[in-house]
Amino acid sequence: MSVFYSLTLIALAGLALLLLEAFDSKRALRYARDASLGLCLFVALRLLTGNLNCSSEALPSWVSPWLSFDPLAQTFVVLGLVSTALVLALLRIGESYIRQYTLGGSMSEFYAIPMIMAAAIGFMAAARDLVTVFVALELVTVSFYVLVSMARKSALCLEAGVKYLILGAMSTGVLVFGMAWIYGVCGTLEFSGIASALADPQIAKAPALLACGLMIAALGFKVAAAPFHVWVPDVYQGAPLPISAFLSVGSKAAGFVVLCRLLEGFLGAGSVVAAEVRQLLVILGGLTVLLGALPALHQSSVKRLLGFSSVSHAGFMILGLSSVAPGVTGTGLASFYLATYLPMTVLAFTVLTVMRAHEVGDDLSEIRGLSKRSPMLAFCLTVSMACLAGLPLSVGFLGKWLVLLGLAQAGQLAALVIALIAAACGFYYYFRPIVAAYSSSEEPRKAIEVSIPAAVLLVLLCAVVLVLGLYPAPLNGLLQLTGAPAAAALLR
Amino acid sequence: MSPLFIALLLPVVAAVALSRGAPLKLASTPVALANVLLILGVMLSRGFVSPEVVSHVGSIAMLQSPALNLSVGVDGLSLLMALLTVVVSVCACWQIDNKREGARAEHIVAHLISAGALGAFVCRDLLMLYAFHELALIPTLLIIALQGRGESANRLRVAWKATVYLGVGSLILLAGLCWLMVSLTPEGAALVTDLDSLLKLAKEHPLPALKQAQIGLVLLVGFGTLVSLFPFHTWAAPAYATAPVSTAMLHSGVLKKFGIYGLLRVLPGMLPLALSQAWLQEALCWALLGNILWVGWVCIHQRNLDEMLAHSSVMHMGYLFLGLAAGGAVALEGVALLAFAHGISIALLFALAGRMRAQLGTLEFRRLGGLGSHSPALYVLFCFGMFASIGLPGLANFAGELMIFVGCFGHPGATALGMVQWTAIAALWGVVMSAVYGLRALRALFQGTSGSGLFLSDPPLAQRGGLVLLASLLLVAGTCPWLPLRLIAPAPKDKPAAGAVAPKAH
Amino acid sequence: MITLQHYLWVSAALFCIGLAGVVARRNALVVYMCLEMMLSAANLTLVAFSRFGVRDGLPDVNAQALVFFTITVAAAEVAVGLAIILALFRAKQRIETDSVNALQG
Repeated sequence: MSVFYSLTLIALAGLALLLLEAFDSKRALRYARDASLGLCLFVALRLLTGNLNCSSEALPSWVSPWLSFDPLAQTFVVLGLVSTALVLALLRIGESYIRQYTLGGSMSEFYAIPMIMAAAIGFMAAARDLVTVFVALELVTVSFYVLVSMARKSALCLEAGVKYLILGAMSTGVLVFGMAWIYGVCGTLEFSGIASALADPQIAKAPALLACGLMIAALGFKVAAAPFHVWVPDVYQGAPLPISAFLSVGSKAAGFVVLCRLLEGFLGAGSVVAAEVRQLLVILGGLTVLLGALPALHQSSVKRLLGFSSVSHAGFMILGLSSVAPGVTGTGLASFYLATYLPMTVLAFTVLTVMRAHEVGDDLSEIRGLSKRSPMLAFCLTVSMACLAGLPLSVGFLGKWLVLLGLAQAGQLAALVIALIAAACGFYYYFRPIVAAYSSSEEPRKAIEVSIPAAVLLVLLCAVVLVLGLYPAPLNGLLQLTGAPAAAALLR
Repeated sequence: MSPLFIALLLPVVAAVALSRGAPLKLASTPVALANVLLILGVMLSRGFVSPEVVSHVGSIAMLQSPALNLSVGVDGLSLLMALLTVVVSVCACWQIDNKREGARAEHIVAHLISAGALGAFVCRDLLMLYAFHELALIPTLLIIALQGRGESANRLRVAWKATVYLGVGSLILLAGLCWLMVSLTPEGAALVTDLDSLLKLAKEHPLPALKQAQIGLVLLVGFGTLVSLFPFHTWAAPAYATAPVSTAMLHSGVLKKFGIYGLLRVLPGMLPLALSQAWLQEALCWALLGNILWVGWVCIHQRNLDEMLAHSSVMHMGYLFLGLAAGGAVALEGVALLAFAHGISIALLFALAGRMRAQLGTLEFRRLGGLGSHSPALYVLFCFGMFASIGLPGLANFAGELMIFVGCFGHPGATALGMVQWTAIAALWGVVMSAVYGLRALRALFQGTSGSGLFLSDPPLAQRGGLVLLASLLLVAGTCPWLPLRLIAPAPKDKPAAGAVAPKAH
Repeated sequence: MITLQHYLWVSAALFCIGLAGVVARRNALVVYMCLEMMLSAANLTLVAFSRFGVRDGLPDVNAQALVFFTITVAAAEVAVGLAIILALFRAKQRIETDSVNALQG
């Protein structure tokens, strides 16, 4: 079966889930939700084991001009599917509390929309030109508007929705304007055409730079890069926890795959704008790591903290994209970082979701004494925070290390120092929740029972994070990914 | 598979088992003891080979490109430090009071520190070496914050201070190591992190002297913060005075030596010209004099045993840096020997101080006295620790300190009294200071009459084991310094010009 | 004679007015209108480039196709956006962005 039809099937499954609500069958919805979770994982697994046909011959002839499932696309299809599956699982765990805030306790939109987005992320990853990218990216963005503000009974949620909406729509405007200029400069909207046009030394440099800058700015919004990150902490705090988790991985995956493709052209061999764009990336990345890390220092809400942390990690990924270390491609480094960032941040959100389902908030004061109430949650929180901080021999360390190394080898000392400072700040703010979890609280609080599905998810994520920390070899293939065709096969 | 992997894995397994509720008696000290036997076995099977030979090599590939391997192996220096680690670990676990609340966490942390330190010492990869050290450091800081002594506000403050110093120090260290590796890596090649390849590269294509000194400065600041080099030392004394006893033993005895170990690995082999730059050498000399004289002065004015021990531990780091500043085979061997000896003696002293505090409730000199009359065994053990720490001949520290001082003057090419020699002369006064505060503490605690009627009783025989082990090691290494020296120094016949000094130790 | 330059200047002005409106105005509906103006500016640029990018005697229609996609997507965005703004209005009885300030930290 070809990967195109699999993704279509997932989108159709999402539509079917939406229809189920009309028949108002709670039980059917529950089965359908679990089935779609399984479907996502199944497709991801088939793709990972090489059982899905990714060749261009397998695509219908009316699709093949627009899509090609090269290794980079496959990687992000898998990332999109896995993050969707994880979000569905999180929604399942947090259903009891989210239900209180939706109109009529309806949940089907929450299950349906991520499925459609998974397909959209997949198509975006495989896109060969900017038109396809635009449609798929907007499908993801508009879906996020809906998801963020779906829990309408919560005023915070609506507020987050409006903020996300306005800033998101603005980034769309910038994106289309940037595309228009790319088209004006390069005369084409195809990625391969953009690369070859930019390699032409006779091209007008100033408009080309304007176009690149606009595109990077617009995508910077999607991946939460400074200075377009102002929405992140507010939206993370206001949105339901599983949706915040999805924002931190899904939105990032969507933005980064397009960024990778574009930079393949911008930074490609002979590109006239390569030096400037690389410098722009370094500045943008340096700014992002710092503006993510510094405000995080004094946050008392862990949800907000994770928002800023997501900004800081985006900065590391952008710095990674600019990397020129031998043996590692920028695209590969960003993909590797994202793949390692995914399990650890979802682990943190899982802990918070389980706590929220037991009516424990995400403030540091409420986390105090967590180790007494549920040793398992405290342990998982510790693991995820330590990984996010980049504790050596944890999965978070390698990504950071490779990024720093790339900076060192490229001689970007200012960015290296800034990144080191941000990493040092990380050790402060990520450890505050750990200390809170293991310190004793004044009033006795009742224990938190972790349900079996939640425990399974926690154990699974913990295992992935810990094993990958010591043995990251399975992800080795990611490091050599490029957006150009005919690269090494994924994970093989 | 290398037995070193087992040695690394054992404490981790113990920590995991303990966190899942394994019985303290079975899973903690016996595992640590097993690790001692394992390391002794490694020593025996290695036999008496030249210290540079790396034996028991093993490697696990973590990433193929860029290559990153978890490679282990021991040469003489690694083995000595590994021995220190396992011995102090077993004693630290042995003396934790299992009935106390929070004992389990203390055991877990002890094993984690042990695993991290062991990893750092046996790792043959510069990056992994750093990684293992961090791994040991984090639980240390957490347990100080959560289970330290005293007011919770106070211990949080102490823990944060240590975290900030050590965190920033580690990052500077990482930056320095990065810089070193990037500079040594040939143009266009993937980064070399392997210790032996780096040494080879440094020998074939030495860096320019100025660059060596610049990298050396960053590394000295980075490693120096971890070893509490003046003026980056202020975190150390409060942290040791606040930490739970086992943690203080392991950190001051073992983990802190990681910084010295790292410098011994990097400075002579990869940056041999760094300290021949006058400005760097002078800066280091002033800093170490700060350690010896200033902290020694502060130490004399302490009114409390554990504060005094904490400061003395910081002070003695100055001698180690003196050896590094002097360079030369004798001084560097002295540094390794003193690092080992100091680790044992300070662990013994912290263990005894912890035991005394548990019984007496206070360690203030003015409230105590005459303790020796009811607890002769503790008195003798304390004498061992304190005399060793002062540097009395016959106990382990003496040989190391002597070699460092001799090394300072036997510095090849030194015709007149240079910076190092003057520093050494000034540092000799540090020995007098040690004697002042050490002997005064002994007299105030164990002799005379008790001011407030507080008495100490000897621990039961079963609990003396760890303490006696440490004390006897001090004695053995002090009377037969060639035993540890066989590990780290080439046999006398291989040694070219230093023959005049060698017979003393052999 | 109106050249490509003229179109580009007009669209750039339109884009900047839209951006300024998003940044400066407080009424959520007006902000939304300004956002639409930014999209229109982008569309104008696309069409202008397409009209003047003549190849083999024919204008390149790729960009004009993208304009239709943009219009469609903008319509979807408006539908969702207005629904969210309406929901906010029901909850707060105000649509000024100043009133949206509960989330901070």
